[in-house]
Amino acid sequence: MAEAQVIDSGGVNPPSGSVDTRTIGDPVLAVENIIVKFGGVTAINDVSFDVRKGEIRAIIGPNGAGKSSMLNVLNGFYKPRSGQIKFAGKTFPSMDPYYAASHGIARTFQNIALFRGMSTLDNLMTGRLLKMKSNFFWQCLYFGPAQKEELENRAHVERVIDFLEIQPIRRTPVGRLPYGLQKRVELGRALAMDPDILLLDEPMAGMNVEEKEDMSRFIMDVNEEFGTTVILIEHDMGVVMDLSDRVVVLDYGVKIADGTPDEVRANQNVIDAYLGVSHD
Amino acid sequence: MAYEYPDASVYDTLPKLLRYNAERFPNDVALREKDFGVWTEFTWADYLERVRNLALALNEAGLVKGDVFSIIGDNNVDWICAELAAQSVGAMTIGFYRDVLEDEIAYLTGYSAARMAYAEDQEQVDKFLNLGDRAGTIEKIIYSNTRGMRKFDDPRIVSFDDLVARGAEIHSASPELFDQMVDAVTGEDIAILCTTSGTTSNPKLAELPHGNFVRHTQLYLKHDPKDSTDEYVSVLPMPWIMEQVYTIGFGLNSRMKVSFPENEETAMSDMREIGPTFLLLAPRVLEQIAADMRARVMDAGPLTQWIFDKGVEMGREALDKGGKSWLADVALFSALRDRLGFANVRSAATGGAAMGPDTFKLFLAMGVPLKQLYGQTELLGAYTLQDGKEIDVDTVGVPFEGCEVKIIDADTDGVGEIITRHPNMFRGFHKNEEATKEDMKDGWMHTGDAGFFDDKGRLTVIDRVKDIAQTRTGTKFSPQYIENKLKFSPYIGEAVILGADRDYLTAIICIRFSIVSKWAEKARIPFTSYTNLSDRPEIYELIRSEIAHVNESLPDTQKIRKFLLLYKELDADDGELTRTRKVRRSVVSERYGPIIEALYGEGDRAEMNSEVTFEDGRKGNIEASMHIEKVDGAAAPEMKKAG
Repeated sequence: MAEAQVIDSGGVNPPSGSVDTRTIGDPVLAVENIIVKFGGVTAINDVSFDVRKGEIRAIIGPNGAGKSSMLNVLNGFYKPRSGQIKFAGKTFPSMDPYYAASHGIARTFQNIALFRGMSTLDNLMTGRLLKMKSNFFWQCLYFGPAQKEELENRAHVERVIDFLEIQPIRRTPVGRLPYGLQKRVELGRALAMDPDILLLDEPMAGMNVEEKEDMSRFIMDVNEEFGTTVILIEHDMGVVMDLSDRVVVLDYGVKIADGTPDEVRANQNVIDAYLGVSHD
Repeated sequence: MAYEYPDASVYDTLPKLLRYNAERFPNDVALREKDFGVWTEFTWADYLERVRNLALALNEAGLVKGDVFSIIGDNNVDWICAELAAQSVGAMTIGFYRDVLEDEIAYLTGYSAARMAYAEDQEQVDKFLNLGDRAGTIEKIIYSNTRGMRKFDDPRIVSFDDLVARGAEIHSASPELFDQMVDAVTGEDIAILCTTSGTTSNPKLAELPHGNFVRHTQLYLKHDPKDSTDEYVSVLPMPWIMEQVYTIGFGLNSRMKVSFPENEETAMSDMREIGPTFLLLAPRVLEQIAADMRARVMDAGPLTQWIFDKGVEMGREALDKGGKSWLADVALFSALRDRLGFANVRSAATGGAAMGPDTFKLFLAMGVPLKQLYGQTELLGAYTLQDGKEIDVDTVGVPFEGCEVKIIDADTDGVGEIITRHPNMFRGFHKNEEATKEDMKDGWMHTGDAGFFDDKGRLTVIDRVKDIAQTRTGTKFSPQYIENKLKFSPYIGEAVILGADRDYLTAIICIRFSIVSKWAEKARIPFTSYTNLSDRPEIYELIRSEIAHVNESLPDTQKIRKFLLLYKELDADDGELTRTRKVRRSVVSERYGPIIEALYGEGDRAEMNSEVTFEDGRKGNIEASMHIEKVDGAAAPEMKKAG
């Protein structure tokens, strides 16, 4: 065995002249007193928090804390037993998936949910379906309004492809792509919807360090360049603490902390939840 | 009827040629660039307009005749527009390789006192910003890709599009200004400060005057004519002299259309869409293509494998008889040409380093009319070219007319140093009289290459003069010659032959990971990384048999006795290769000193502790331990064949 060991000798400083150009606005999405139950199991118990326009908001917590359930409540996959969701100036008892998607909430899934046999380009085009208005007849003929619409949407998708630097895999069936790239394509499909709010369910799960760095950069770029609000669930604490503006911590369905990464890091409840305390 | 090139005595600068074409052929396509998945065309009028507007804005920002302008980025329309705009003002341009590290930028901009820079995107702009105080004279940094740029508030940063818009205003206010600027530059003025690859030290800047550049490219075009029906895809590094000759020189002189691929990874498929009629591929790229081809065939079904093997065999046989195998062409080569994007190729060149004869013949058999050329940056690139009349894997052809090439200090075999002079060579090294004097003696450029002429007046280049080495027993050998033989093995990516002042020859080998990993998968050999794979006994056995095979064709005194597989690939970022990927022997022998000592020691392991530079400039240490394998003259027992 040749043993090669890489010893890191320190990082690099950010370039000079770098400034934060983002603006964080008022709350655009808020959940209040949400309760979700599956039979006798209470997945989410009386959780409230809000998300401000333009911020990166993380939801963290140990396994089974109810993070993915929370995300599913946000885009209407799950109906809460009680509580309410405030979005775009309206209050709903629960979100409707179609309403969420058509009003600018896009999401990615923990387990990649792409059409494996279709090319990257076609998968991204499915992200534009909601924006297509021409009827079935025109689309069959690919003529008149349908053609114009298709070209506009394709142009939009090409901008996403350029943004995510996935030109080389434009025509490759996604099933043949490595895992990290599939994750990127999934982000691309969400971006193709031109979302105001992006829900990312463990965008970096199962990735190596380089892929994580790439993905982090894309998430930051999306947030900075387009002002997209990002809500993300992530297990990698380093990533969460570096990326997010505010963090919600869930444990056994209960919110145990909410604040900036530094506040959350110092919170005794969070430390207990992650490191464990003895239960009598 | 060949296209009549513009009169070089009147149109003696590159911007004048651009204006010439834009006046006569305003609506013909000059350039194409792939963006957002679509080929965008630029006519000669568009091309001139973009150059003119940028030139006017640069001039207003303070760029004047005699200044130095640096350029770094991917090959694209903005790159060459920035170059021609700076040259329209009368500035000299330096192109940087896109993966260049900050230190080199600091050295060259400081040394040349560059005043402005075009840096395509955030990554490249960062390099200039990170220079801090060392950026010294840089007053403006021009970017064209806006992504990630909003973070910066450095006052030196300006956008390409803003400058072009400003230039358009200046032009409408004073329409004669651009022409006055262009007319004020003459053929005697320096157009390009071209970095020389510098196998030994810091790069030097060769001053290439406009007139020389125009005349020399026209001379080249006489030997390999092009016209507006020709298509070229720009994939080689833009700062390299040959890419300058083709993209700028051929483009402006012959109106050959130049297309820029979307990015590096899409280059092959973009090339296929364009179907270039002319290409230049470095030997190692051709070897990579050949190796990839074999790797894919290894993946294919038995029928495909049989067709491939049979087709190559038939093609090679027909080629040796001076013909072409019709059957092999239909069954295999036409499909291969199409696949690789070579379907329309009328003329293809290779050069810069020697090339394995088998690869060369493979491409000839495939119907890609490869011609080897030879030249140096200082001599404006190529000045010899094969005529392509016969299969000739060894020579680089005869010199262009008017180019004098001599061999000096020849030994009994006629091998000596190649020296050259021609009317259009470089002016000298920028601000480096000493280096100029060292290389130029009585008007002759001493190339430092060893070579000889055959009885037909064709030049053969063997190696660098100083690299021709002698063992302690007095055997002369060319490391590069043996390395090239080794590198034709699909499994060997890089090889360094040692043996100067030693008793026998040894080799440091880097495996070609793409192929060897595939081979290992097929042979069910588990491995994790490059390092791990390189240390597998099965791989040692594989490489040993490859070396034994090469040894058969070498005289006894030049046979490789021992080798080891290096734990990493040689890398330009670590200074082990030049940017054009030639081995820097001094660096290798210094860095791997302990390994080399071990190779000539008694033991069978070499220990190593070395520093590596990561892509972001950080440094780290690597400790490694490698096995040393002996090679006996006899061929190794047949390995279990993969597949």
